[in-house]
Amino acid sequence: MSARVKPRRAADLDPVWRALASPIRRHMLDLLHERPRTTGDLAAQFPGLSRFAVMQHLRVLEAGRLTIYRRQGRERINSMNPVPIQQIFDRWVKRYHQPWLETLVALKHQLEAEPAKKQRA
Amino acid sequence: MPSHVLQDNVFTIDIAVPRQRVWDEITTTGRIQLALNNTVLEGRLTPGSKLRYYSPDKKRVFVVGEVVEVTPPKRFTHTFRLLMQANEAPSLVTWDLEETTSGCRVTLTHSGWTNQVRTHKGTAGGWVGILKVLKQHLETGDIPWTTKLLYAAMGAMMFLLPKATKVEEVERRGW
Repeated sequence: MSARVKPRRAADLDPVWRALASPIRRHMLDLLHERPRTTGDLAAQFPGLSRFAVMQHLRVLEAGRLTIYRRQGRERINSMNPVPIQQIFDRWVKRYHQPWLETLVALKHQLEAEPAKKQRA
Repeated sequence: MPSHVLQDNVFTIDIAVPRQRVWDEITTTGRIQLALNNTVLEGRLTPGSKLRYYSPDKKRVFVVGEVVEVTPPKRFTHTFRLLMQANEAPSLVTWDLEETTSGCRVTLTHSGWTNQVRTHKGTAGGWVGILKVLKQHLETGDIPWTTKLLYAAMGAMMFLLPKATKVEEVERRGW
């Protein structure tokens, strides 16, 4: 594994982190991961948000290249682009030795589940 | 939208090199394209011509198709039949290259889906890897060591691939 990470290339991912920092935008990504959606369809999933706010969130996602849109007549069809997520994974997960991580995460889930089991018993 | 309709897969990545370099890389024939899973593209890149993506030793063919559009240095479209799923109908692959202030934005659209469920499922992750490695290859001249390892492993496991990927078989079917 190459030990040098060029700062410029790491900074490429700044807009991705920015986009992922909001729970609303992460929810939008989950919805777009299911299937591409028009902006109207997406806005309908967030009744508490104005259409303008939804558009603003979409712009932040686009800035991180996490979503792509194409026009179909008067509509915008938004879809999810999985490439930046893979880049984040490569840069921030793979580098730090995934097998250990999996073990630790499994341990965490197991330990957290145990008191619940005891209560039930 | 019915759930059985296969969605177009769209992937995009920004690469900090001039658009022409990306174009040259993805349309190069007769030599290994490191980012494209270590394959060799062969064929005349003119609409209607057949193309094939070969293994480095030219004994196997992974993808056959027909060139649909070649608009240098912007768009390259071809039909795409993955020979690991040779009984499924061809789909359509489009490379779009746009100039940006920092270089080139590459957008790959995999469309033309009818009912090629296995090809659809089997390729999505592959394109992510291809774009990622294409970026690194063009920007740094190198590819990740994990990718090199993967190619070495792929080379050793060719015998596991379906018969449809053998050159003789591809010739026989006239692909």
